[in-house]
Amino acid sequence: MHTRIRGAIPLLLLALVSTACGAADATGDVTREGSSIDPGDWEDVLAAADGTTLDLYMWGGSAEINRFVDEVYGPRLSGFGITLNRVPLADTADAVNAVLAELEAGRTSGGAVDLIWINGENFATMRQADALLSGWAEQLPNAALVDWTDPAIAFDAGRPVDGAESPWGSAQFQFVYDTARTDPTQLPRSYAELADWIVDNPGRFTYPAPPAFHGTRFVKQWFYELAGGPDPWVDGFDEDAYVQAAAPLWDLLDDLRPHLWRGGETYPNDIADLDRLFANGEVDLTFTQLPAGIGANVDAGTLPPTARPFVFDTGAIADHHYLAIPVNAGDPAAAMVFADLVLEPELQAAKLDPANGWGDGLAIAIDRLDDGQATTLDTIVRGLGDTAVDQDRLAEVRLPDSLGEHTQALEHDWNRFIRQRRPRS
Amino acid sequence: MTAIDSRPTSSPAEVQGVGSGRRGSVRSVVVGTMLTLLLLPFVPLVLASLADGYFYPQVVPERWSTRAWAIVLDPDGRTWAALRDTVGIAVVVMIVSLVVAVPAGRVLGTRRFRGKRVIELLLLSPVLVPTIAVALGIHVVFLRLGLAGGVAGVVLVHLIPATPYVVLLSAGVFANAELELEAQARALGASWWQARRHVTLRLIAPGLAVAALFGFLISWGQYVLTLVIGGGRVVTLPILLFATASGGDAAVTAATALFHGLPAIVLLVATTRVLGGAGLATFGGAR
Amino acid sequence: MGDRSVLHTRARRALRHESVRTWAALTPAVTLVLTLFGGAVVLALVRSFGLLGTDPSARPSLDAYRRLLVDPEVGRSLLLTLHVAVVSSTLAVVLGIGAALLLRGLGRGRRLTTTLFQLNLPVPHVIGAVAILSLLGQSGLLSRAATRIGMIDEPASFPALVFDPYAIGIIVQYVWKEVPFVGIVALAILHSTGDDLEEAARTLGATSWQRLRHVTLPLLLPGVLSAAVIVFAFTFGTFEVPLLLGSSFPAVLPVLAHQRYTDVDLASRPEAMAISAVITLLVLAVVVAGTTLARRTVRQDAA
Repeated sequence: MHTRIRGAIPLLLLALVSTACGAADATGDVTREGSSIDPGDWEDVLAAADGTTLDLYMWGGSAEINRFVDEVYGPRLSGFGITLNRVPLADTADAVNAVLAELEAGRTSGGAVDLIWINGENFATMRQADALLSGWAEQLPNAALVDWTDPAIAFDAGRPVDGAESPWGSAQFQFVYDTARTDPTQLPRSYAELADWIVDNPGRFTYPAPPAFHGTRFVKQWFYELAGGPDPWVDGFDEDAYVQAAAPLWDLLDDLRPHLWRGGETYPNDIADLDRLFANGEVDLTFTQLPAGIGANVDAGTLPPTARPFVFDTGAIADHHYLAIPVNAGDPAAAMVFADLVLEPELQAAKLDPANGWGDGLAIAIDRLDDGQATTLDTIVRGLGDTAVDQDRLAEVRLPDSLGEHTQALEHDWNRFIRQRRPRS
Repeated sequence: MTAIDSRPTSSPAEVQGVGSGRRGSVRSVVVGTMLTLLLLPFVPLVLASLADGYFYPQVVPERWSTRAWAIVLDPDGRTWAALRDTVGIAVVVMIVSLVVAVPAGRVLGTRRFRGKRVIELLLLSPVLVPTIAVALGIHVVFLRLGLAGGVAGVVLVHLIPATPYVVLLSAGVFANAELELEAQARALGASWWQARRHVTLRLIAPGLAVAALFGFLISWGQYVLTLVIGGGRVVTLPILLFATASGGDAAVTAATALFHGLPAIVLLVATTRVLGGAGLATFGGAR
Repeated sequence: MGDRSVLHTRARRALRHESVRTWAALTPAVTLVLTLFGGAVVLALVRSFGLLGTDPSARPSLDAYRRLLVDPEVGRSLLLTLHVAVVSSTLAVVLGIGAALLLRGLGRGRRLTTTLFQLNLPVPHVIGAVAILSLLGQSGLLSRAATRIGMIDEPASFPALVFDPYAIGIIVQYVWKEVPFVGIVALAILHSTGDDLEEAARTLGATSWQRLRHVTLPLLLPGVLSAAVIVFAFTFGTFEVPLLLGSSFPAVLPVLAHQRYTDVDLASRPEAMAISAVITLLVLAVVVAGTTLARRTVRQDAA
């Protein structure tokens, strides 16, 4: 009973003089296991992958997708002797940071991250840091099913893919409303209409705080609409032009702030939070990225059965999402096996069908499939029903994603001008 | 070392306080309210874990479902693997922290020596310094040593907050134990080993059990250190729960939370029941 | 003369032997804390000066601290963090002492009550945060109950208790977790000191308020203050609870540190370390102040 806390200065001094444990030494051995794996020799890859654990780092903000990955891919990987360890992330940037930090610490092989679910700005960041294995994606056996001549696949947000990532699926940004609450004829069909709608329905709208993926997409589409389209932002990035083009957006978002949920004092962290607000009737709109619709969310009970997706007439950003292997991946062979596996036509079909828990778009080209496989896909698409937007409609309003620099600028400025409410000078 | 909650109920204050009309019933109401408030947060968890489509404004779920529990308890699911890792790490942390901390606790609880205060402060400091600072500071070194992203690294960082608690608690145990009995046993002809085994151990066992329990529980509930040092590759129950919570499935989140919380509660209740509350005296006394 | 010197040498040898044993017993724990914990703190400090990063030739600088000074979020974040820690630890101490006094006075059912009282003590904070969210959220259980009895008709009418600017949800979670902790500490002290002093005071004619003010509280104070310091340090430095229950802006300092640490731009890392260093220093300052205060109060009461 005599152990009380008495003054802490000696403690601090002690801590200061105590030696730092081996901080300065050990820069790590510089062998690149990764580059010794040749995807051209697939038997070799399979042999190297056997008995390994695949550490797949991926955004974990969707219970349905998480379950699909565990339950559909997990058992298939076991067939190759690979154990799947899905590492859920709040933000894909966390995986980018983890790899860069490892490289900075001299860990150039045997890294923690084997495979990252990635696209856009995070891909750009990792390519700039030379942190990804390249040239492997087009050599996968199933790469033959991918149309690498399609610029929508060969370029990721304007940046050449260079075989440094292999497509997994495709997505398109859509809004979701509840037929039980909102009359579809009253829905906004453009950002201009949405601005009025927000004022007319105070407290009934919000969006995830960028850099959460859906939040950034939402803001970027608004930027497109105000700036007159995606064109200049897909091929290059002019800082001055951007600052000018973005100014009206920040003014507008600032003006609308008091009409948002919670008066714009706080924003949901991620789409899962927004879905929860929507399902509980706190807000009237949410978002989805799933081309095959929200059937899986309804089945899982995270969205009400009366929820329906829709798109604005002014466009909806579509993109592909990919799998990338860090240069220091511990098990690059297992990573390649996974990237190849997800392109299997039956698994692409399973992923497309919301009944299996996802509803993600295709990464493979239908015209490269045999008739039976194509028919399967067609049947799924025609059976989607009310919980998906018509596929032709989605194609009509399709917009490309912008360069990583543009995305980062938007996220950076949103953080300063909207979240922190700093004045623009 | 009498139990707090099994003290003979004969003190005058109590006789007056309880059972004597208005004051007693006011006290019962206040205590009842307090317990209700403390237990209330568990209610929505239980309801949500057993419901399907449990949205506002339902108070009692319209549709009951065991879906979430089926997912959480699925033998091939992630929960059991996380439970295994959590228990494994916590047991190793508990054992190592006992081995390291009990000798220190005995010395601090029973002896006076120069520099004692400095040592006490040093050993207590990890409880006071924010874990996030510790986690970020140690991460790069662990990266270079290859300890980041592995169970060994996680065990090591869990020792940082666990050791001080075990030192403090065992110091309290030894300070309160009547260790002169050990000397008496020696004087009566017991060997050093016999004295330790039959006398000292008996005296300190209940308190040490509580210290061990705390070592275990600190590891059991640890989030930040596991997140930063484990890098997502070491998936303990807190990591799994946080990931599930950000996945948006309220029912599975609630079921996972209960799955993670119940063992800790059961352990605590079982320990205090077996020890008859002696543990709590230890717990409080050390602070 | 010879006998005495032999005795003296023996005593000294015994003493030295004793001292060696003392330090031998302390060595494992001290080594562990010094290398792991001490190492971590020193490294965080070193890295906050821009060292040990990508550039091996970097010179120590205070750039990270300068950037923190001009960052408007850091100041607001510091205020919020202090607010959360001060309010939670004060409430936890006051309510914890009250609870202990209540529980001590219970006759029948005290064993069960005490067990129930401490149930959430071992519950990890992440669970507490998830539970508080589902209880206090605007579409949480309380809001639903209020709707059922007709007090409100939509979630927005329920007060904003989570993700709110005053961090009410975070504070409620901390208080919920820490009241049993402080309460159990207080109960243990009350138990170990017994009723004798209060009895004596009563025989001398002290009223119940006088007994509480002049006997019971001074008895509790040192131990409870130690508990309060631990609670303060904890609530100042915790990360997962504000992450789940906090507003987007400002974030508390530990969340800010983690954000900077996991930023894609590794140049932000020294800032993360600088925030860690600031948190550490602030907590230690409060610990020193708190314990000095406690000792002074104890001395005054003793005098």
